[in-house]
Amino acid sequence: MLLSLLLLIPFLGTLTVLLWPGGPSPARLRLITIAILVLQLGVSLAVASAFDPAQAGMQLQEHHAWVPGIGLDYALGIDGLSLPLVLINSGLTLVSAVITRDIDKRPRIYFAMLLLITGAVNGAFLSENLLLFFLFYELELIPLWLLVSVWGGVNRAYAATKFLIFTAVSGMLILGAFLGLALLTGSVDFSLTPVLSERLAMGGQLWLLGALLIGFGIKIPLVPLHNWLPDAHTQASTPVSVLLAGVLLKLGTYGMLRFGLQLFPEAWAKLAPALAIWAAISVLYGSLAAIAQTDMKRMVAYSSVGHMGYVLLAAAADTPVSLLGAVFQMVSHGLISALLFLLVGIVYRKTGTRDLEVLRGLLNPEKGLPFTGSLMIVAVMASAGLPGMAGFISEFLVFRGSINVFPLATLLSMVGSGLTAVYFLLLVNRAFFGRLAITPPSGDAVEDGRLDVQLAPVAPRETFPAMALAAGVVLLGLVPSSLGRISEVATTALAAITALPTGVH
Amino acid sequence: MPIVPAELVHANLSIDRAEVQRRLLAGETLLKDTPDHLLEVVDVLKSYGEVLDAYSINLIYQAERQFLNPLPIFKYLDGDHSPAKIWRHLNHDRINFEYAEYCQKAMFWHATGGMDAYFDSEAFADNCRRIIDAKRRRDPLLALLNPLFPGFLPELIRSAATTHALGQFWRVMSDLFLDLAAAEADGRVRSIPAVVEFIKDGLVAAAANPIRYGVSIGGEQLWVLPPEAGLTFLVDVAVPYVEAVFLRGMPFLGTVSFNAQAQQISPDQAQFTYGALYADPLPSMGSGIPPSLLMQDMYRHLPERLHQWYRERTRGEGDVRVKICMSFQKSMFCVTNAAINGTMPHPLNSTDPAAQAANGAYAGAWAQRLGVARTDCLAA
Repeated sequence: MLLSLLLLIPFLGTLTVLLWPGGPSPARLRLITIAILVLQLGVSLAVASAFDPAQAGMQLQEHHAWVPGIGLDYALGIDGLSLPLVLINSGLTLVSAVITRDIDKRPRIYFAMLLLITGAVNGAFLSENLLLFFLFYELELIPLWLLVSVWGGVNRAYAATKFLIFTAVSGMLILGAFLGLALLTGSVDFSLTPVLSERLAMGGQLWLLGALLIGFGIKIPLVPLHNWLPDAHTQASTPVSVLLAGVLLKLGTYGMLRFGLQLFPEAWAKLAPALAIWAAISVLYGSLAAIAQTDMKRMVAYSSVGHMGYVLLAAAADTPVSLLGAVFQMVSHGLISALLFLLVGIVYRKTGTRDLEVLRGLLNPEKGLPFTGSLMIVAVMASAGLPGMAGFISEFLVFRGSINVFPLATLLSMVGSGLTAVYFLLLVNRAFFGRLAITPPSGDAVEDGRLDVQLAPVAPRETFPAMALAAGVVLLGLVPSSLGRISEVATTALAAITALPTGVH
Repeated sequence: MPIVPAELVHANLSIDRAEVQRRLLAGETLLKDTPDHLLEVVDVLKSYGEVLDAYSINLIYQAERQFLNPLPIFKYLDGDHSPAKIWRHLNHDRINFEYAEYCQKAMFWHATGGMDAYFDSEAFADNCRRIIDAKRRRDPLLALLNPLFPGFLPELIRSAATTHALGQFWRVMSDLFLDLAAAEADGRVRSIPAVVEFIKDGLVAAAANPIRYGVSIGGEQLWVLPPEAGLTFLVDVAVPYVEAVFLRGMPFLGTVSFNAQAQQISPDQAQFTYGALYADPLPSMGSGIPPSLLMQDMYRHLPERLHQWYRERTRGEGDVRVKICMSFQKSMFCVTNAAINGTMPHPLNSTDPAAQAANGAYAGAWAQRLGVARTDCLAA
């Protein structure tokens, strides 16, 4: 019942927000949403405390037949792979709602969509049935499309449509793979079991896995399927970007581990070397593209492309350490990219621009955004993998777990880690150091040296969510055992399952 | 390709040289006469006067009581060694005397004016010999150091002399600025021209004040700067001070780096433009006065009227030090204006063509330097 609550609360919350009597003000709707999300976070923590980390399999399972004729069951369960992601979802959606201010139009729909997304994501992470997963996977699509296309930037229609098309193709490929599995095995059992694929010939397995890889590869996103992401991020508002980077991309990596690796272990082992190279290309391409960006948000978006590549590398290596690293990377990327987007959002709200050719000296003690800048430096250090923060432990685990299996791909990915420092130091150096400026340099000394650079101060309540995320990043970096304890048994078991038939390790 | 952007090392040109020269010769003030400017200048000078009072007392204390002290750990305490005073000092509930020392170092290093000429004279060397002889009898460390490094103690004595002279200079300026505030409160000063006139009169009145400095070693009175040296307030201290602190200054370390080898800093000290009139009030730690120290000190003594005025503008309390710095710069232009007016070779209303030409050349020389200063604060 506990897991069903994680669906009931957001979905009933959606209805509550939509049907709240009278014309509640945006501020009141926000408070209602926050209250619902706090409740959801509380239940997530209750799930975490009820969870037994010593067990490898699914726990707190719930199973009801729904539409038996097509194999759609209401089957929920949670393990060490999905629990951290459920927690991240609850936490970051709450952050998104908290940082949503001055919604200028249709606040009711906005907050309802936020709740719908978080419910759908919970559903996807908890599903033990392939069709149910697909249902939830598709369910978050429309609300997110709305969030970008209604409350986005100037070019929002283009970005939202692009997102819709890419993700719809992703959904079709995934559904195709799931149906193909049923078709080829002649079974209508869509429950999550790896036994199915063993009945298939390798050729069939490779086709199905290929479809899944491309489907989830779009969502993650992996180069060259990443094209929608920078546009979606640039046009999305800050809370939506936080959600997109922190939570929704994880659906892709989660799906890849759960349905790619776990469902098709033999085919996975065959494709693994190619996947590792793909991961390295994705990491390097994302990082190099980030270096070339002049829009802060696009830079952070491309860094996401690079950093999600580590998860693929770890999944390809498929060792207990690398898979644990994959979980760590998903969580730490969720926290760090959410923090980065949040801070970029503050900069954008105060200065009206994200252009690195324009912004200068924001660390300026009294006239600039010194505290935001300090948090940005923390986030950047975490992203570049400095020891003591979440990024280090996850990258270390990924590289340590993968280097014996795929030395070349791992070394190339490590170069990407170094490149992270390059582009983020460029960002910090351009936007935060030097003389304060928020207008383009004119080349005229009088114009560029002017004194009347006026920025509104950042209220403490605006930085509080960022402080909470930064604290999380440091906490996870200093006490990695907190997450490791939850996931280690599950990831070890996952590696063991796949090791058996292939005998690679 | 210079690493430092042009706007950091070369200040604003919003009022060009010709305009500066015209205003000086026409007897107009450099700073535009507005009620806001009057409030800013008078009140910021009042807080500056109170800070200068503390600086002056401490510099004179250092020069007289911490003279050649090899370990002057209590030099900022003005002789009060009570635990409460030490606690306040350690807790940083105090004036930033480091800024006063920075100004002293700038003066000493740039070394212009009559005092510096006297430092190189035989008479000064004699004074030093007498002082060192008296001192080494009581201080074995100095007795050891002096034969090893014969140039060391005279240099410390020169530095102490600059410290004392600056203390004397600021004594006068502190009183002058506090008198100005009183005059404005009485209604005797009601405009920026009146402010400039008041400061000019104060400077002229003190111009011939003698600058002397003596130390007492073992009950024996010894002169460092004796009356016979003939050093006076305006020519030997005030003018070198303006040169060193208002105009030249020293480049700061900060988030902006200067590469001296790439000639981002002029090899000619006389060409330095890092002084208060060139400083960027936005504290990017670029060239100019270190805002954090002096502005913090003035913030502690801010008159309520100006404080309220600041609270109503931009970020209120949040960027108050930047606003103090901008007001301070305006007031320093008034002081410079007064100094230029006071040292003009001939009266401005002179009809003698030769006098007019001399005035024109004098104002032109100043305009040459002020034209690249932060004159953008003058119009607003």
